[in-house]
Amino acid sequence: MHYALHYSQITSYLPYLIGGALLSLELSVLAFAGGIVIGFALAIARNEGGPILSRLVRAYVVFFTNTPQLVQIYVIFFGLPDLGVVFSPFAAVLIGMTLNAGAYLTEILRAGLASVHREELDAAETLGMNRLQSLRYVIVPHVFRVSMPPLSNQYILMTLGTSMAAVFGVEELTGRAFNVNSTTFRSIEIFTTIAGLYVVITFMATILLAVVGRYVFRARVRVL
Amino acid sequence: MLKDIIVQFPQVFTSYNIIMLAEAALTTLFLSAVGCLVGVVFGTILSLARLSRSRLLLPLKIIALVYVEVFRRVPFLVTLLVFFFGAQVLGFDISPLVVTLISTSVISTAFVAEIIRAGLAAVRPSQLEAAEVMNFSPWQTLCLVRWPQAWPLILPPVFGYFVLFIKDTALASQIGVLELTQAGKILNTKGFSALLVFATILILYFLISYPLARLGAYLESYLGASRHSRSHGQLR
Repeated sequence: MHYALHYSQITSYLPYLIGGALLSLELSVLAFAGGIVIGFALAIARNEGGPILSRLVRAYVVFFTNTPQLVQIYVIFFGLPDLGVVFSPFAAVLIGMTLNAGAYLTEILRAGLASVHREELDAAETLGMNRLQSLRYVIVPHVFRVSMPPLSNQYILMTLGTSMAAVFGVEELTGRAFNVNSTTFRSIEIFTTIAGLYVVITFMATILLAVVGRYVFRARVRVL
Repeated sequence: MLKDIIVQFPQVFTSYNIIMLAEAALTTLFLSAVGCLVGVVFGTILSLARLSRSRLLLPLKIIALVYVEVFRRVPFLVTLLVFFFGAQVLGFDISPLVVTLISTSVISTAFVAEIIRAGLAAVRPSQLEAAEVMNFSPWQTLCLVRWPQAWPLILPPVFGYFVLFIKDTALASQIGVLELTQAGKILNTKGFSALLVFATILILYFLISYPLARLGAYLESYLGASRHSRSHGQLR
């Protein structure tokens, strides 16, 4: 069958799509930041906490890493209202993504924490650092230096995961592509265009994270 | 409130619904497994293209690099939609299930190619030099030296990726494939509590995914990546 591609009809929608891309970025950055906080706290809790606490952390990680993010958000968005807890689509997606990120990042940061040697903490103590200082000056830089490549990887996967928000009616990049599709009916052009936009976004994120990792934590991150 | 929901639980499992859920679970597994198998076949070809050093294959090498870099950066949902609407617009009459299979294959090819490339690259250069000294052909080097040393490094991440993909195929529900998530949506329209239905679906996913994940972890420890002096970055 003959079908002519008309990308020209889409160019006028590009600013609209890029606006959606910014919302995608907002989602992924917020969820990533929340995930880092949860991940760091739980990684420490799992290593330093008692047997009960580390069991609970393990249960959380295992549950969230073995179930689909989409269905988790279904439970939050469609399920929780049955108990009288109602979220906006954006909030539901953000909560689901943050909890998910927290589980994956707990594992990544735990591996990073495991690479901090006892001696380094002893050295920090000898220098007269209190616990908070040794956390800030010894543990955190070390963990991030070691974990930069998997963290970068995880951030890319999360950026791709934001496209799920469209299912719940959030108008991020994929959501806006649905809107443009329903007005222009140029499906192939629209969805290949946003595929290209995702490639550009994640590539920029990879480069940015490599630069940050290189100059802030002295980590080696491969870009290509 | 919670009580009313829990009371419904046994009512979900009529024989009809159990059959539907079982079929849906099999579909979920099938999508992931077939996608990964196709990914292994084409991923192997792509990784060999990326590792080749001949001038003749340079265009192929560039194509392989672009393919891997692009398809690892496109959301699964978007790939699904491109193929779904693409098939519609171009007048191919293919079922959503086939569309999903194509999408999973295309994406897993990119990921698996990257895993295999890293595994083959982790084989020590001295081994390859030794093969060269022994006058092995490139093909012999690959089959007799490189591959036997690389496969224990390759298998666990590929398996891990297969488990990761079980969760990704949940998105196939968006184009109407009857897999677990879609089965949940169908049950949801039958008047059960949404919380109950989707929690049940979550548990079913867990029951499929967790044993496989444990098997993957066992595989990794059994194959003992520690035997290899050069570890490689986990690529998923």
